[in-house]
Amino acid sequence: MATASPSVFLLMVNGQVESAQFPEYDDLYCKYCFVYGQDWAPTAGLEEGISQITSKSQDVRQALVWNFPIDVTFKSTNPYGWPQIVLSVYGPDVFGNDVVRGYGAVHVPFSPGRHKRTIPMFVPESTSKLQKFTSLCLVASSDLQAAPPTGDKW
Amino acid sequence: MAEVHVIGQIMGASGFSESSLFCKWGIHTGAAWKLLSGVREGQTQVDTPQIGDMAYWSHPIDLHFATKGLQGWPRLHFQVWSQDSFGRCQLAGYGFCHVPSSPGTHQLACPTWRPLGSWREQLARAFVGGGPQLLHGDTIYSGADRYRLHTAAGGTVHLEISLLLRNFDRYGVEC
Repeated sequence: MATASPSVFLLMVNGQVESAQFPEYDDLYCKYCFVYGQDWAPTAGLEEGISQITSKSQDVRQALVWNFPIDVTFKSTNPYGWPQIVLSVYGPDVFGNDVVRGYGAVHVPFSPGRHKRTIPMFVPESTSKLQKFTSLCLVASSDLQAAPPTGDKW
Repeated sequence: MAEVHVIGQIMGASGFSESSLFCKWGIHTGAAWKLLSGVREGQTQVDTPQIGDMAYWSHPIDLHFATKGLQGWPRLHFQVWSQDSFGRCQLAGYGFCHVPSSPGTHQLACPTWRPLGSWREQLARAFVGGGPQLLHGDTIYSGADRYRLHTAAGGTVHLEISLLLRNFDRYGVEC
């Protein structure tokens, strides 16, 4: 069944940002968004969201649970630029300002079915000791201006 | 022409004696292959693990090839380097692995090695850093002239690669 013209296919993503493990931080919320190539476009659902703020459970698990729904459908003609979900986690610092606690990204799974993904998160580190010290005092920490684009890393 | 999509992530590296690692990666293909979209090489960020000993990069790879033949099936090759607090970089390992040939999602663990020098160079590396490096990067993924090297093992690079193949059945290739 070879077709000469490009054919459109749909990708439906349902799921949730379930929980996180951050041993050092508490009272966190997360933002998700999708990054995709030029041939892709969302047709239904929300492509970004902000979760509630959650605190660590008191038991030994120390889990931060969001249970935050993800529901989006993409349409495309080309697998190149397959969508990635980009997660940013924020929490308060000593002075109560919102500071980034982690960024992470993963490709949306390629095969139909149920998948569980654990995403490692990282935070940009200050390059000099002086900047580390001033970032403790000032509001702005070393933050990324926009969500990391596909294929580029700092 | 048959098409291959290689989509996935260089997840990270484990088992290296140094922390603060970054990876330079590239993909090498034969003459029949043409890269339609994507970047053929890149470099990850430097990651210092805070929890555990695995350095995570989560570096996305998205490549779209068109090919006229099976020869020269793509090979991913890596150079893992460590960066210390002064900003100096030291080689931690070289490695390569073939891109899988069956469609679906694959977890790959690529072992790495680094060239040892003479005992003087090994001593210098322990104190001052540095150490021998390959002159030509293609020794990483080709077997020619390997017999000249004496190497030691490095850690492992972990990847998750998914493969989508198109039009291979038109050319009589079953996958």
